[in-house]
Amino acid sequence: MLRASVAAEAVGVPTVSLVCEGFQRQAAATARGFGFDGLALAVLQGHVDAQSYDEMITLLVTNTIDALVAGLTEHVDDLVDAVAEPAAMDVAAVGSIDEINLLFRNRGWSDGLPIVPPTLERVHSFINASGHDPWRMIGPARPSGRDITVWSVAVNGVMAGCRPEDLPVLLALAEAIADPRYGVEHSGNTTGADALIVLNGPVIEDLGFNYGPGAMRDGTPANTTVGRWLRLFLRNVCGFTVDEHDKATFGNSARVVLAEDERALDEIGWTPFACEFGFVAGDDAVTIGRINSGIIVGSVFGSMPHEVIPYLADGLARVTGWDLTHVYGIGQGHYRPLLVISPMIARVFGRAGWSKQDVRDALFDHARIPAWKFEKLIGDWSNLTTGRRTLHDLAGEGLVPPVFGTSDDPNRLVPIVSAPDRFLIAVAGDPNRMNAYVMSHDGPHGDWTSKRIDRSYSADLECRITRPNPTPRTEERE
Amino acid sequence: MYEVVWPKSARGVGRLRRAPRLETLAGKRIAFLWDYLFRGEELFPVIEKELKHRFNGIEFVGYDAFGNLHGPDERALIAALPDALSRHRIDAVISGNGC
Repeated sequence: MLRASVAAEAVGVPTVSLVCEGFQRQAAATARGFGFDGLALAVLQGHVDAQSYDEMITLLVTNTIDALVAGLTEHVDDLVDAVAEPAAMDVAAVGSIDEINLLFRNRGWSDGLPIVPPTLERVHSFINASGHDPWRMIGPARPSGRDITVWSVAVNGVMAGCRPEDLPVLLALAEAIADPRYGVEHSGNTTGADALIVLNGPVIEDLGFNYGPGAMRDGTPANTTVGRWLRLFLRNVCGFTVDEHDKATFGNSARVVLAEDERALDEIGWTPFACEFGFVAGDDAVTIGRINSGIIVGSVFGSMPHEVIPYLADGLARVTGWDLTHVYGIGQGHYRPLLVISPMIARVFGRAGWSKQDVRDALFDHARIPAWKFEKLIGDWSNLTTGRRTLHDLAGEGLVPPVFGTSDDPNRLVPIVSAPDRFLIAVAGDPNRMNAYVMSHDGPHGDWTSKRIDRSYSADLECRITRPNPTPRTEERE
Repeated sequence: MYEVVWPKSARGVGRLRRAPRLETLAGKRIAFLWDYLFRGEELFPVIEKELKHRFNGIEFVGYDAFGNLHGPDERALIAALPDALSRHRIDAVISGNGC
């Protein structure tokens, strides 16, 4: 809600924002990312979802009303002096590898694992290999308000242990992060969902990404370091640290890049994952989406599609809970769960002549839950007002697709997505195993976003790397 | 020894000053903006009642007039917010809930 407050303040309307206890720092950091320091907050003590009505109202009247009034009527000098920060090419610290790693950990600039020290020479080499202009602006980083530049991408790439040839992949990811459709500003919400990167194209083989056994296990440098880069970049450039924008209750470790097995896809005539987002087979593309949770569907039995589908549909239904708010409510139709199947399962469909769309249609018919359960998850058990009406009523009002309201029988089965094409399917993993992985996704708060990977040599480096700021200031030099 | 650079980047946004505060809420029109989460439908009526008790002539425009500012239309609704605030002659905003 700070984004709404910022929009009002920007046109001269004073605001005060209600936040639960514990959200003050995130709220202040969000406002700072838009250029406002010290937007007025009124704190709700505790968390309203864990309070009785009487307790909540008593705390509101006793503790919060005065702050609401003060926030709208009391002047505060909000343009305090900004803290000086290093310029991009400043030497921010000098030390041994152990000292640098300790400093980066203590400053919250690393993920806790050892980093490769981002020296000027290493960053130069990292960028020079592909000829990009280091100061090219890719977009604003939300919610921090910092600039996403080729330089900032490269610095974190060096730290993560990426190779110079990985830079085009990182730049495509940075473009996805900068794309408002992705919604990177939600990456610190309390559910703690973390992004999954899906890779397609010849880049997979060329750069040595693993798409076979252990496809999502760390250990293959390309998959592991590019996945690590994303977390470092979200931390350092977008501002997702616990003292600023990261409010994850739990969170996950960095996710290893999921590269598709495009040989298996070719074999059965299926198109790559990125084709769901406008690309064609043979394109180098990267896709990101935020994943709430996942379940392994192990040891699927069957040699025919109708034998296999129930396992996959059951997994998708089981992994889908509160995420249903993204079917309607917060983000109508945005819920797009991901089904990753091993090549062996994909071949079961391929042998029977099933297309990906055939699989999606079958999942739409089988991945269903009782209407009463859907309504409980999004109504009684949530704080989502729209969910307090029945699916039958919502369908009658045209607010959800008719398939949700075919009758008012609470035991009827309703789909977990708004249309078959909302299911996403990828193929990867051990080619000789009948296993699958189902993942729920966070709707508009990290919506699937794809970008082309441009591996051509950039003409940018007609320019040379020069110091962008003639009057640098150092903060961290030791 | 390693000489290393900073892993963050410059803040591209300029620094802005808050809107001027009001002398009093008496006689002012207050907008409620809501993300349709965290029990706003129970909190806002109580806030309205308490502020009406304290300030003569205070008026409120409910959250329905501005839509769900955290929903699927968040970006469009926030982009339209300045016009909506002007159309409803809003003097100040109470926005919630960040939890």
